[in-house]
Amino acid sequence: MNSLANRFSTTGPINELRRAKSVLEDDEFTDSAWGSEAGFGSLAKGVPNFTVPSVPDPSAFLRLHTDDYADPSCRIKIQHGTTTLAFRFQGGVIVAVDSRATAGSYVASGTVKKVIEINPYLLGTMAGGAADCQYWETYLGIHCRLHELRNHERISVSAASKYLSNLVYSYKGMGLSMGTMICGWDKTGPAVFYVDSDGTRLKGDIFSVGSGSTFAYGVLDQGYRWDLTDEEAQELGRRSIYAAGHRDAFSGNTCNLYHVKEDGWKFIGNYDISKLHYDGPGETPGAGYGYDVRVERSAAIAVQA
Amino acid sequence: MSIMEYNGGSVIAMVGKDCVAIASDLRLGNQALGISSNFQKIFPVTDRIYLGLPGLATDVTTLREVFRFRVNMYTIKEEREIEPETFAHLVSSTLYERRFGPYFIEPVMAGLSKVATGGFKPFIAATDLIGCLNFAKDFVVAGTASSKLYGAAEGLWEPDLEPEQLFETISQTMLNAVDRDAYSGWGVVVHVIEKDKITTRTLKGRMD
Amino acid sequence: METSFAITGKDYIIVAADTTAARSIVKMKTDDDKIKVVSPHLLMSYSGEPGDTIQFSEFVERNLRLFHIRNNYSLRPSAAASWIRRSLAQSLRSRKPYSVNLMLSGYDVTTDTPHLFWIDYLGTMTEVPFGAHGYGSYFALSLLDRYHNPEATLEEGIETLKRCIDEVAKRLIVSPGKYIVKVVDKDGTRVIEI
Repeated sequence: MNSLANRFSTTGPINELRRAKSVLEDDEFTDSAWGSEAGFGSLAKGVPNFTVPSVPDPSAFLRLHTDDYADPSCRIKIQHGTTTLAFRFQGGVIVAVDSRATAGSYVASGTVKKVIEINPYLLGTMAGGAADCQYWETYLGIHCRLHELRNHERISVSAASKYLSNLVYSYKGMGLSMGTMICGWDKTGPAVFYVDSDGTRLKGDIFSVGSGSTFAYGVLDQGYRWDLTDEEAQELGRRSIYAAGHRDAFSGNTCNLYHVKEDGWKFIGNYDISKLHYDGPGETPGAGYGYDVRVERSAAIAVQA
Repeated sequence: MSIMEYNGGSVIAMVGKDCVAIASDLRLGNQALGISSNFQKIFPVTDRIYLGLPGLATDVTTLREVFRFRVNMYTIKEEREIEPETFAHLVSSTLYERRFGPYFIEPVMAGLSKVATGGFKPFIAATDLIGCLNFAKDFVVAGTASSKLYGAAEGLWEPDLEPEQLFETISQTMLNAVDRDAYSGWGVVVHVIEKDKITTRTLKGRMD
Repeated sequence: METSFAITGKDYIIVAADTTAARSIVKMKTDDDKIKVVSPHLLMSYSGEPGDTIQFSEFVERNLRLFHIRNNYSLRPSAAASWIRRSLAQSLRSRKPYSVNLMLSGYDVTTDTPHLFWIDYLGTMTEVPFGAHGYGSYFALSLLDRYHNPEATLEEGIETLKRCIDEVAKRLIVSPGKYIVKVVDKDGTRVIEI
């Protein structure tokens, strides 16, 4: 049954392989092989194409070597741990992410950029496969620009996210791994869409994705109101990422904060999570978010009084 | 999922000039979830021996109780304090007793042992989880950050460090190693053992 | 999914546990009390393998009672916690281990201080200012890092507890319905309505 479905489907892995092969056979030396078009050279044909392992089932082959959940000693490790969040409020959209990348228990990097600046009005967040998110969101950026040139109008957040969602859906089952929030401001006002590699696309006010998302939700939900001021909203985003960085072993290092308003996104800042713990976002020692730090502070105030 | 990585945590011990130092992190986790930032893994055995027990947290507490009992019995029977070398063998044989159902702990010891001339000699040792002893002259490491600790310690340690320098070296080694390990961190505690005093300091580490 | 919380305050501890007893996909009971009063100033909330939970909690209760009869005083919270932890740790390496997670909340009447111990089925024990077991802990712990105040009054403590319950109800897929809430302080233990 499965093979029958595969033969006639237009999105299955077998078909994908067939499509890739036909393009490759077309001309053996594409421009992209020379890197002259930054890997996007294949777009000239309308559809990006990728070389796939020449085995009967390429996606199963890839999964065998990348699924570190089933087999921790697998050869290729794809970045997993992350905390990202985005929420909509009266003053726009707040996007906040951590910056840790782990391979097993090893903290491979503490300076990862998990917010992808698609264009001046659109941001995408990165959770799951770093390369998948980076590549497809950049690709989305190209198409958003083409849309602008063709229609003399900026693409809506809804349309952009639908474009990405359709795109990753066509690769379903091939091992793409991404959980992303597409955030921006269009004619309808501030908008946040959650898109993942399963093909899910959700419109909403509050989203958090990644291993630390539950911790972020805990703080975010309790502090959230639609009529938050800009400063309050930024503080809430920072605190939520801090909370996740603190409790989740696979999140942390720094927090990157963005604010999307009517005139496009603005980078608010990069905050060291350990500094947030001890000193908070400002330069006041002892004004940190940390539980012990906070308790000590209120004890000191009680002594003074 | 490895049992040795279930709760996380790391310990290191280093030799200095007429002194030794032992340090550990303070995290207790349930895999990725941090539970406590005040979980001690290093315990005093005598006035001149400290024992670090990184590994499965239930066995940290159990072994601490076992060693307290056995060292007390030794002290009562022998009417003297146990020497580090003797204690190392006590640790080793206690672990080997459970050869076929081991405690998931890799102990690290640091102490000063008496010498015939009346002075003291630095002593450090570590064992694997079934009691294979490893006496080192420079430093020993164990726990989830052990590979990172080796790297940092190889780079920073040098012979004949004075107590204050040793404190600085072990602190920097520990702080930098646990920052590269997802399962260790949440604060660091350092003990420096000299012949007439023990200095214990809790360091402000990264809390993420 | 089973969830329990406990938070310490200035001179009390509040313990909350969900009241569902589930078997397969069925809720067998919706008013199950999973917080046992094991001695006059000691509460034990438990969750885990059905059967083991009841057997182990009653085993603890009877032994603490036996200690009281023999010695004419109750174990203090830290001593009781150590004994319970050791029972679990010994059970772990037996033929059939108890699979029970606990939170032991006790008011030490000799020092007038509240104590909360987080214990899991392996025998891992740590004293904490607030704790949680089950999937709820993934939402509640960050929230408590933010809102818990060890000097809070009972009313403020209950407000914080309600935040935990609300958050878990909001975000957890199979969130528990009702909770039973108990308090232990210098006057002993009591159930409170929230």
